[in-house]
Amino acid sequence: MKTSFHLSQIAKLQALRARLDPLEDFELWFWVGMTAGTHAVNAALHCAGITADDEMFPTQPGVYLVPARDGALKPAFRALGDVLHVGRPKIEMPVPEHVARMFHQMETIEQHRDPCVRHGREPTPEIVAECDAALRCCLELLSNEVSAVTP
Amino acid sequence: MNAHEHCVRAERIARSLEKCGRDDFEMKIEAAMLAGTHWMNAALHRLSVTAPDSDVFHTYLLTVNEYRRLSVADESLVAALTEIEDLRPPYVRGNLPGGEQAAERALALLALIRNKAEGSA
Repeated sequence: MKTSFHLSQIAKLQALRARLDPLEDFELWFWVGMTAGTHAVNAALHCAGITADDEMFPTQPGVYLVPARDGALKPAFRALGDVLHVGRPKIEMPVPEHVARMFHQMETIEQHRDPCVRHGREPTPEIVAECDAALRCCLELLSNEVSAVTP
Repeated sequence: MNAHEHCVRAERIARSLEKCGRDDFEMKIEAAMLAGTHWMNAALHRLSVTAPDSDVFHTYLLTVNEYRRLSVADESLVAALTEIEDLRPPYVRGNLPGGEQAAERALALLALIRNKAEGSA
């Protein structure tokens, strides 16, 4: 997807996230932040020329929904566009330092995904603070990059 | 996670859903997926089809054999979560028009899954 789409989605998700209570609404609060961070990573990868910004919708690593001749969406193998999560799929080429730092921030967030959203671990203020700081850092790294490449 | 714990989590997500605005269709679909997965796990545990230490994360991560087995237990339950999951690529990760209608469909499917989970209690 285009970088402009990722940026607009980040803004929309940030507005929703501000209405959620980090502990009372933890699952959705976490998911909104993780989704915003993934948009940021995809935008950064496009800006760095690592992944394509084609308008196609990822279903699983390597498979995207693309419009067929009749206009219907069909799954098809395509070269790497948007990633689903950091590491899904793994980027098999060197990435710029700021992108690597964004990956690290997202890994910091995603380590809490299954324990706190899928399994029974109760979120704590410390987990909330860690996720919040990591997302903020991830978005700042993108913001710096977008400012640098956008006149 | 046992059936009761799944229901507690699902109900919390359902309460959070109420804070979404009309145009937050992406996260309504995601919340339906998250809550629906918890309620489906609760139903499957209560039917003794799956054990508390064997939760489903996503239907598309199941083996074909396990997907068919769970569908024998309750085909419409598994199909409902599958349909919610299938809304994610075009409307959550992509920008296909019709996101608000897709979210309404996801919430209707979530209600179906919830009814089944609560009906199996």
